[in-house]
Amino acid sequence: MAELTRETLSKRVTGVLRELAVPLVSVAIAAAIGSVIMLVSGFDPLTAFAAMFKGAFGGGRQIGETMLRSTPLMFTGLAVAYGFRAGLFNIGAEGQLFMGGLSAAWLGIVLAGMPRPLNIVLMILAGAAIGAAWAFIPALLKAKVGAHEVITTMMFTYIGRYIVSWLVTGPLKAPGQIPQTNRLPVESTLPRLHEMLPFLTPSRVHFGFVIAVLLAMFVWWVLKYTSLGYESRAVGYNPFASETGGISVPATTIKALCISGALAGLAGVTEVMGVHLRLFDQFSAGFGFTGIAVALLAKNNPIGVIAAAILFGGLSAGGGTMQLEADVPQKVILIIQALIIFLVAAEQIARWVIGWTERKGVENAG
Amino acid sequence: MLADIFTPDLFASAIRMATPLALAAIGGTICERSGIVNIALEGMMLFGAFMGVIGTMFTGSPWAGALIAVLSGMSLALIHAFASITLRTDQVVSGTAINILSLGLTGFLMEVIIGHPGTTDPVARLRPVFNITGPTEGLFGTVWRWVDAIVFSYTPIVYMAIVIAVVGQWALFNTRWGLRLRALGEHPRAADTVGISVIRGRYSAVIVSGALGGLAGANLTLEQVGSFTEGMTNARGFIALAANIFGRWTPVGSYLASLLFGFADALQIKLQLFRDVIRIPSQFFLMLPYVLTVVVLAGVVGRAVAPAAIGKPYEKG
Repeated sequence: MAELTRETLSKRVTGVLRELAVPLVSVAIAAAIGSVIMLVSGFDPLTAFAAMFKGAFGGGRQIGETMLRSTPLMFTGLAVAYGFRAGLFNIGAEGQLFMGGLSAAWLGIVLAGMPRPLNIVLMILAGAAIGAAWAFIPALLKAKVGAHEVITTMMFTYIGRYIVSWLVTGPLKAPGQIPQTNRLPVESTLPRLHEMLPFLTPSRVHFGFVIAVLLAMFVWWVLKYTSLGYESRAVGYNPFASETGGISVPATTIKALCISGALAGLAGVTEVMGVHLRLFDQFSAGFGFTGIAVALLAKNNPIGVIAAAILFGGLSAGGGTMQLEADVPQKVILIIQALIIFLVAAEQIARWVIGWTERKGVENAG
Repeated sequence: MLADIFTPDLFASAIRMATPLALAAIGGTICERSGIVNIALEGMMLFGAFMGVIGTMFTGSPWAGALIAVLSGMSLALIHAFASITLRTDQVVSGTAINILSLGLTGFLMEVIIGHPGTTDPVARLRPVFNITGPTEGLFGTVWRWVDAIVFSYTPIVYMAIVIAVVGQWALFNTRWGLRLRALGEHPRAADTVGISVIRGRYSAVIVSGALGGLAGANLTLEQVGSFTEGMTNARGFIALAANIFGRWTPVGSYLASLLFGFADALQIKLQLFRDVIRIPSQFFLMLPYVLTVVVLAGVVGRAVAPAAIGKPYEKG
């Protein structure tokens, strides 16, 4: 019996390692290609990556900043991953994020003077609801007429951005020159983590990070152990078989894309409640789009999303230091991000590299 | 006021605005007819727009710039083809990677070559093809103003797009090339059985679509704007895919559908001039093409039939 457990355990460990091999090797190849691009452009990649690492993990403040930037990516990564599991590509997480941020910026002012825990709960629920609502029309069109969600959610991203742009320059604009909403009262904001964990001082990382991690675990549980999750996965895996098996494909499609939208909406809520404390045009650094890279790198596993979001959060936090110290434009991070998506999707490349190194290893051993 | 809005230049502007969409939409048509989804048109257009400006800057000739734009679109297309045909990667994911790559590359190269982010300096543009002086007065003057604006006022790529739409339509349905291309997207196994190379056919279709995406980018920077701004394509590649669907996967249909979006764009720009009369915030005008895209997709998709083998990688059996 004990023998058996040890065997299954070791099998499990090798299984997990094998699962991790492709993403890890993909990241390594992407970094290598990124280095070549830097070299060709006349930069020193070693200095660049060293500066990036220092900026991302070099101390309490830096670690806090990485956590801060990974928070919205966990939400959008979960959003995109949930969609992918149901066979849907929510490329418009950015738009749902904008609407989530909008609802928080508005509701936070309306709820001024109410108890903080109540405000936090209400603002999170409202943001999830509006994120889901923003995905609903694309979901309905997908389910009823088969309109591709890649085009429709992308269009809704632009529509959402213009709505936010209109509101922050017009009806919701705070007094003054800058197009932004009023600052949220403290009872409508998320507490900063350094109040509890002093070593993170003076980073701005907030309670949203904890919410994101817990939510990732919850989504993992939903996907694995609930009938809702089962139906989503079944439809993503094989819609025809699911239909035959008695699952309504249109209903599941609508539910899944709306859940995805709700998760993306939360990214906007926590950015507004935790970081900016108000809304303006450019409050998202493309978190919805980076969420695609996060989900793919995590192979759509919610627990993997936590790790992948921290990696991309680190790239983003370290990017500033890299630009300052090594003079390398931060945009190189986008290139690396694209390469990671590409390599994880085309996993043969990583497998070929792994196979090649293994053969090398055998040759050297022999 | 209506006479102030519906002027000859509104219609001319509609045709100009339609051009990048039409070129990308026809690229989408050709690519999807071969069975490959190309959501990377957005990135190809952006890269083409950027490289067109850089090419013009270094050669001094916007024609050379346009050629470089086309080649740049093709180079990104080659990556998409390799990923989706040879490696059998998910085509939408590969397209997304290329879109982000293009955003990153143009932003990175902008800082390396130009020295700052944002917008480049203006470069030489492609000039209008015709420059005819017609009558200015009386009835003939009015007629000539319309004809001149709507027929003779354009830059070269605008005319090229019309020619490409018509020739593409003819070729798709009347030549051996077109028949083979459609077979690849409908039933690649059958095409393979009768000796058509699925791999080669799909590669060439994707690369042609990249060339058209690059040309669309050249139209944006070298004819319309005259400089490059980061992210300036603003989802035009995605709107173009909707135009391709609305045009039922035909080149002329794609062009006509793009004309609808081009008209919406031209109209919203025109209406913004009357902001004092029509008290609607500019953002609602700017939203128009995106809303229209959703409405169009909602209305037609159920009735338009996509190529049967679209998005499915082909494995030689």
